[in-house]
Amino acid sequence: MNYLLHILIMISIYTILSISLNLPVGYTGLLSLAQAAFYGIGAYAVALFMMQAGINFFVGVVLAVVLSAVLSVFVSYPSIRLKGDYFILASLAFQIIVFTILYNWIDLTRGPYGIPGIPRPELFGIVFDSLPKFFALSGAMAMGVLLVAKRLYSSPFGLVLKAIREDELSAISIGKNVRRFKVLAFAINGGLAAVAGALYAVYVTYIDPTSFTLDESIFILSIVMVGGSGNLRGPVIGTLLMILLPEGLRFLGIPDSVAPNVRQIIYALVLILLMRFRPQGLAGEYRLD
Amino acid sequence: MTEILRLKNISRSFDGLKAIDSLDMNIQAGRISAIIGPNGAGKTTLFNLICGYLYPDSGRITYKDKDITMLNPWERASRGIGRLFQDIRVFKKLTLLENLLVTFNDASENPFKAIFGRINRKERDKIEIAMNWIDFVGLADRKESLAENLSWGQQKLLGLARLLCTDFDLLLLDEPVSGVNPDMVRVILEKITESTELGKTIIAVEHDMGAVKEIADYVYFMDSGKIVASGVPKDIFDNHEIMESYMGLDNVA
Repeated sequence: MNYLLHILIMISIYTILSISLNLPVGYTGLLSLAQAAFYGIGAYAVALFMMQAGINFFVGVVLAVVLSAVLSVFVSYPSIRLKGDYFILASLAFQIIVFTILYNWIDLTRGPYGIPGIPRPELFGIVFDSLPKFFALSGAMAMGVLLVAKRLYSSPFGLVLKAIREDELSAISIGKNVRRFKVLAFAINGGLAAVAGALYAVYVTYIDPTSFTLDESIFILSIVMVGGSGNLRGPVIGTLLMILLPEGLRFLGIPDSVAPNVRQIIYALVLILLMRFRPQGLAGEYRLD
Repeated sequence: MTEILRLKNISRSFDGLKAIDSLDMNIQAGRISAIIGPNGAGKTTLFNLICGYLYPDSGRITYKDKDITMLNPWERASRGIGRLFQDIRVFKKLTLLENLLVTFNDASENPFKAIFGRINRKERDKIEIAMNWIDFVGLADRKESLAENLSWGQQKLLGLARLLCTDFDLLLLDEPVSGVNPDMVRVILEKITESTELGKTIIAVEHDMGAVKEIADYVYFMDSGKIVASGVPKDIFDNHEIMESYMGLDNVA
């Protein structure tokens, strides 16, 4: 039961990460390799707000969202006027800078030692300290993010983003400030990813920089690509598959000595087959070329 | 007649080659001006300069008496200068209706409104306006299809409808009837003419001389980055010197 709840909590955290990344990737055509950076900013910000300033978790989440959204502008504003590939490079640079800061700003982040003993969130006297309670919290927050995403996608704002993805020049020719929309989409992505980071921090109660590496960014981007971008279903399906598949492979009864390797091989094989036969993702509308 | 657009002494070179050479042009509001001339005369460069995709090396562009020379493309568009590209560029994966709904540049595009706000009545008004324009170009029964499923000619009509839905006053049409079958040419020309009756000003680059004769109120003949002749269509087309140089050059190209 605890194992199942743990998986469900991880699914809700990664749902938030992939749903938010879907906004720049699937709706605006901006590939980002910085998702783990915003995830980490959210986690560290909430941990430090709670422990250093004694701020309540829920207030801390709001502050972390704002902080992460503001920091996203450092990537998007200078790089967005450049063509697509440069944006990926800028996001990669941001990812590496954030990791380096988390790792080396010892006074603030304790560097490689990480931050232990992050308190449990509390609201009106309820402490979210057990797995079921925590699942209720993470599930509710994931639902909240889904709702926000759903409203954004179906709004005039979402329509403009889609138009930009379809044809940037055309969007400009009807008077859209394309740069502004891209910066906004990326800021919303950064803000929402921080929610996932905040949840992660108070869930595992210990964070260190190794949870927020480039590998993690690639993993989150691959969730969006496997599931398919451009709608809500894609990232959710991608999250389920990418989290459940490795867990499911545990039950194949592979001898312990080779199990981890075999699991990795099967996992990679599934990804390659998907990319080969369904490049737009399992439920995607938009094909990344 | 009032003047809507003025180009004064505009020059633009590429690698030392003058694509546009000290060009002057005054566009009167409410009529259809056609720009004709051989390939390489600078017609598309001129459009790019007016829309802001290129900046002139020298000279000034004024739109409705305001200097827009240094404004970027979306700013010019939001002031009312629209463009139909030669390759149309409809939003392929959006429906016809969405292609038009996206043109409204208003506060509803604020993401915070989208998250926290209420969906208000204005959205319904927008759908009505958009539907009117879809109806205007005769594509009402296709409103829910994706734009990519339309024929080339229908996409040109959709591009025109999208432009009309923007509320822009000056519409630049880059070869509006190229690659379109004769029946569809008729429909498109009709809709362009009707647009001016609704108060739009049109500048069209067009190679189809029949189309130009039929709809243009005024014709500019361009060659080597300059306007070598301008006047009502009859004057231009009756000028054998111009026509011979045009046809001659066109045959070579």
